[in-house]
Amino acid sequence: MWRRLREAARRAKRNPLTVVGLLMVALVIVLAIFAPWIAPHPRDIQVVHPNDLFRPPSLEHLFGTDEMGRDILSRVIFGTRISLRIGTLVVVLALAIGLPLGIIAGTFGGLLDEILMRVTDIFLSFPPLLLAMAISAALGPRLENAMIAIAIAWWPWYARLIRSEAVSIRERAYVEAARAVGTSWPRILLRHVLPNCLAPVIVQASMDFGSVILTSASLSFLGLGAQPPTPEWGLMITVGRTFFLTHWWIVTFPGLAILLAVLAFNLTGDGLREILDPKAKRW
Amino acid sequence: MTLYLRAFRTAAAALAVLLAALGLSLPLAGADLQIAVHVQAAEVVPVWDPSDGASGEIALMNNVYEALLRYNAVENTFEPILATSYEKSADLKTWTFKLRQGVKFHTGNVMDAAAVKFCVDRTIARGRGSAYIWGPVDSVEVVDPYTVRFHLNMPAPLDLIAAAGYSAYIFDPAYSDSDWFNAGHDSGTGPYTIDTVEGREKVIVKKFADYWRGWEGKHFDRIVFLTLGEASTSRLMVETGKADFVESLPATDIEALRNNSAVRVEVNPSLQNLMVLYNTQREPLDNPLVRRVLSYLIPYEDTVKVALGGYGQVARGVIPHGLWGHSDRVETFTYSPTVAKALLAQAGYPNGGLKLFTTYPAGYDDIRKTVELWKAACAELNIELDARAMPTAERNAIARSPDPTKRQDIYLLYWWPDYANPDSFLSGMFYSQEKPAYNLCYYKNPTFDALIDYAITLPAGTPGAIDMMVELQNMLQREAPGIAVWDMQYLRVTASSLKGYVDNSAYPNVVFWYNCYRE
Repeated sequence: MWRRLREAARRAKRNPLTVVGLLMVALVIVLAIFAPWIAPHPRDIQVVHPNDLFRPPSLEHLFGTDEMGRDILSRVIFGTRISLRIGTLVVVLALAIGLPLGIIAGTFGGLLDEILMRVTDIFLSFPPLLLAMAISAALGPRLENAMIAIAIAWWPWYARLIRSEAVSIRERAYVEAARAVGTSWPRILLRHVLPNCLAPVIVQASMDFGSVILTSASLSFLGLGAQPPTPEWGLMITVGRTFFLTHWWIVTFPGLAILLAVLAFNLTGDGLREILDPKAKRW
Repeated sequence: MTLYLRAFRTAAAALAVLLAALGLSLPLAGADLQIAVHVQAAEVVPVWDPSDGASGEIALMNNVYEALLRYNAVENTFEPILATSYEKSADLKTWTFKLRQGVKFHTGNVMDAAAVKFCVDRTIARGRGSAYIWGPVDSVEVVDPYTVRFHLNMPAPLDLIAAAGYSAYIFDPAYSDSDWFNAGHDSGTGPYTIDTVEGREKVIVKKFADYWRGWEGKHFDRIVFLTLGEASTSRLMVETGKADFVESLPATDIEALRNNSAVRVEVNPSLQNLMVLYNTQREPLDNPLVRRVLSYLIPYEDTVKVALGGYGQVARGVIPHGLWGHSDRVETFTYSPTVAKALLAQAGYPNGGLKLFTTYPAGYDDIRKTVELWKAACAELNIELDARAMPTAERNAIARSPDPTKRQDIYLLYWWPDYANPDSFLSGMFYSQEKPAYNLCYYKNPTFDALIDYAITLPAGTPGAIDMMVELQNMLQREAPGIAVWDMQYLRVTASSLKGYVDNSAYPNVVFWYNCYRE
């Protein structure tokens, strides 16, 4: 175990971008957990200040204030909580649907595989953002509904990925051996197939974190996600775009937050792939 | 490589979206064609049927359809349009209009008294939109082909009603099928007729060659009505000469545009206010005390400062500043969390714990800011405003749901007069309605109804009529089925080359394009 971890750390060190990504993800997590203590004006996620409208960045408000006089830095920091929550819940939900379906389809094959994969194909035929928009519009504009909508649009990718892994694993000698000695199917799935599918899933999930944050921001930008005054980055941009010609800082900092968060998870995902799959070539 | 590819694709997609947003496909002016562009924030024509409208279609419809008269809210005068003159009886119950001869509908048929009777009867029978304005009309009589007489069941200002911005249009009876209208056709008499409809967000009208005023002098040949939810895009369009009129821009843009010689900024009075309607039929807002609590929690002064950028004033009663019936004698709410807290305890909710489903129109920044300010104040007393911005059609479907349990708790809307009379503010939102049209507080009070019925029989603007309006507003203030938050000013931005535009608060957001030209 320790040897494996040391090996992983050694590989990570070889790729400085992975280290940067991991550090950035760690920063996002720390900001999310300790937001009420780190944010300079924690009450500004709700409270407005009519006498502090449109203040440009200064020592008192490093990112300036928005059109309601709220400290943008504080709102961006609280926004990390929402983005992390969205990323985690969507990925977990998508995995909860896609993982069992993919494993069952890949391991058992046959008609069951055909049926499950055709259903998956139907979902895959829609671009994820478009499908999420349609579902979100049907469910109503709320953050919770946006998360459900994104998860519904996301699970087929996991089902496909896991199925392809499971198909290759079921032919392996140790699975054949387990079947030969009469091991039950649930045990084969849980002990032999599932653990060996996890590496690519972890890589994909870490990459998807960024994509989910981006999709959620897009939904909020389109008015289909979070509602004001929630400090969600996409929503902050959609509200601030009205003023971007006169007050650039209102959209710039939430935009940078999205950029950096997505970049952090993508770098981490790329790094993880390299660590978990030694055969992968470096780009 | 993967990372670079992904970044490249993302950048390319973002660029494509940006170009699509800015590179609006507008028709290019031909060598001789004069084309004007009118930018508005909401859907161009939410309602196509000229009998049924009460919404954002007012800007286009008033260039395609005409009424008997047009009211000048500043000078308090009437301009003859389809009627050349009119007479009223001493008791204000019989009104006779002489019609203009030689007026043609866009269909080629001739406008006459029979058409006027048909249109008014049809609008009354359909009972949609602002049809209630014809409430006092008992019957319409065709005296001769160019004379029409209205018999009223009570005295009423029929000249104002006949000049209304909605539901007073005259159209060709031979072309009056609702489905035909909804397919993007018109049968009006106005200077322009529908040319092209491109979805909900772009409608082009072209000049009607046989228009009764003729086309001597400078006029536009086509008008493009365009919906742009994005204020910054609207601003860029008018600054770069791609738009001639922008309905409204945020106060911050107005300040920035004042020194730009390419545009003209006007701050005009309006008869438009922001209304909050409480659901009086459902717990907890069926309790007037709770309604008063919420009304005391609106930071009125701050909403004017933050939401309107100072371009407006705190409302006093539901009748806005500038319209007779508005009075300092009307009682009003002020922001007072202390009073609200005491009333909340009195109402049986000492610890708050209320969650209220609130809807407001999407795309209007001043309303969104007002809601945010109110929401923050309510949160201090543990009252959650579950506020959602929604498109008009969607939230109206909720508000008018046959199942009262599915309706919202609080409904916010702009209100401007259907016709320039305080009755529009009182009857439209508070008169009992079996099927709610705009009485979306579902308020039913027979005493209030009876007083309104009496009030509109009084001569407009007289001390007695004003006293009645004050009494009615104070009654609303005490029971608080709905309140006005602020009265706004219009922030109009036009290209400085546009001439002939005059803002008329009786027709909000309407540019009478026939009177305009470019120089």
